Amino acid sequence: MQVTETLNEGLKRAYELMVTAQELDDKVNEKLLEAQPEIEMKGFRKGKVPMALLKKQFGQRLLGEAMQETIDAAMNSHFEESGDRPAMQPEVKMTNEDWKEGDDVNVEMSYERLPDIPEVDLASISLERMVVKADDASVDEALTSLAENAKDFKAREEGAAAEDGDQVVFDFVGKVDGEAFDGGSAEDYPLVLGSGQFIPGFEEQLVGAKAGEEKDVTVTFPEEYQAEHLAGKEAVFTCTVKEVKQPVAAELDDELAKKFGSEDLESLKGQIRERLEAEYAGAARAVLKRGLLDKLDELVSFDLPPSLVDAEAKQIAHQLWHDEHPEVHDHNHEGIEPTEEHTKLAERRVRLGLLLAELGQKAEVEVTDAEMTQAIMNQARQYPGQERQFFEFVQQNAQMQQQLRAPIFEDKVIDYVCELAKVEEKEVSKDELEKAVEALDDDA
Amino acid sequence: MSAKAEHYDVIRKPVITEKATMASENGAVVFEVAIDSNKPQIKEAVEALFGVKVKAVNTTVTKGKVKRFRGQMGKRKDVKKAYVTLEEGNTIDVSTGL
Repeated sequence: MQVTETLNEGLKRAYELMVTAQELDDKVNEKLLEAQPEIEMKGFRKGKVPMALLKKQFGQRLLGEAMQETIDAAMNSHFEESGDRPAMQPEVKMTNEDWKEGDDVNVEMSYERLPDIPEVDLASISLERMVVKADDASVDEALTSLAENAKDFKAREEGAAAEDGDQVVFDFVGKVDGEAFDGGSAEDYPLVLGSGQFIPGFEEQLVGAKAGEEKDVTVTFPEEYQAEHLAGKEAVFTCTVKEVKQPVAAELDDELAKKFGSEDLESLKGQIRERLEAEYAGAARAVLKRGLLDKLDELVSFDLPPSLVDAEAKQIAHQLWHDEHPEVHDHNHEGIEPTEEHTKLAERRVRLGLLLAELGQKAEVEVTDAEMTQAIMNQARQYPGQERQFFEFVQQNAQMQQQLRAPIFEDKVIDYVCELAKVEEKEVSKDELEKAVEALDDDA
Repeated sequence: MSAKAEHYDVIRKPVITEKATMASENGAVVFEVAIDSNKPQIKEAVEALFGVKVKAVNTTVTKGKVKRFRGQMGKRKDVKKAYVTLEEGNTIDVSTGL
């Protein structure tokens, strides 16, 4: 095995490897020898197949494998010796194209190595963490909206006409061309007028109905109605109104609190406050993280492997293009050229990604199994009923695991950095926080 | 000697077994041959087809097993094998085919 350097420029490296035929042959023989005791063949007792025959039968197949292995091993030992870490899969090419068995193999290998990441004095970073206390006003606000959702309906006095927003309980029989159709009738159906639950025009016509009244409602099914035989047809619904109820906003009392599973109003308020504060903390964290990344970005600079930046820029451009063209879901579109802006963004991302990875490695940040399981669980919840399948899918899919692990890792590294950096707490109002979050969205 | 069609009829296929491998260590090759062929024919065929000098031919008929199929007795066919010893300096690579 001979290794010669052919290119050493910036982060780019290229090497030429030569594997002699003898080495390959030895490798194949070694493999065969190892496999021999296990091979069964017609006419021979197990493990008694002569070498010559084995070589004839399996030699060709093993040769490719052996080649792969020797080259891999050569690459690995090379990386170990030189301490380089390739940014991407090294490009490996066989140079002698008309290679046949018994020839020496020449392989060209080229890659970009990861840059050396300079030490960062984390303690020199100072950050601000926004702290927002949930004030009474916002708690009340949340409470009111809760109460609204828990609307009750109370029967109106007899003879009162239904108004928009009222709940009407009624029987109805729908007919098209004088004949009742499937699914066109119901009894004691509670319908909130103005909720848009029924076909357009239906609810409006019920406004003004009184309890005990019988009313014919004539509507036309919309053209794009999901039941094809009804679409575009005119139908008459004979409705018997049984009750008219008016909405009553739930009162802010212990009763309401019990409805939501807490003991009394005070504890419900406490819960809401907790939830709001957690929300604020999450937002504040996002802002903090952004600030930290900005700082880090300013603090360090090193050469970036162009292939990584290119790939990232393309990814960004592609993503943005899809955002702008939501109607295209597949990949049947022309190639998208990343602009300068994309490249800049990509550079930042790659730099920070490398830096964070490096920091994490140095600090021995690790994602534990428990955290991993937690993350998978959270994801799985998005697929109700299929949690199990999702779980198994993730377990078998290394890429998916990686995808889930990355953000946890990043978070932990950020936590670690925040610990080292100077972080000042600053109490701000909710509005200020909101503004900060918005600003974050704008230039992200 | 050039190969003729009937030579191909004599030699059926090489026998590749542990025993055949052992025989090959003593300069012999083993073939399955037509049941009605005789030693001179086999010698001629091998010499013509593989272009080698044959020293001796030994043959043996392996009787087919008697088998029962759905209660009926049946018999597998007999097989004639030829151990062909080659003159020194001659070899046949049996596994490559003709």
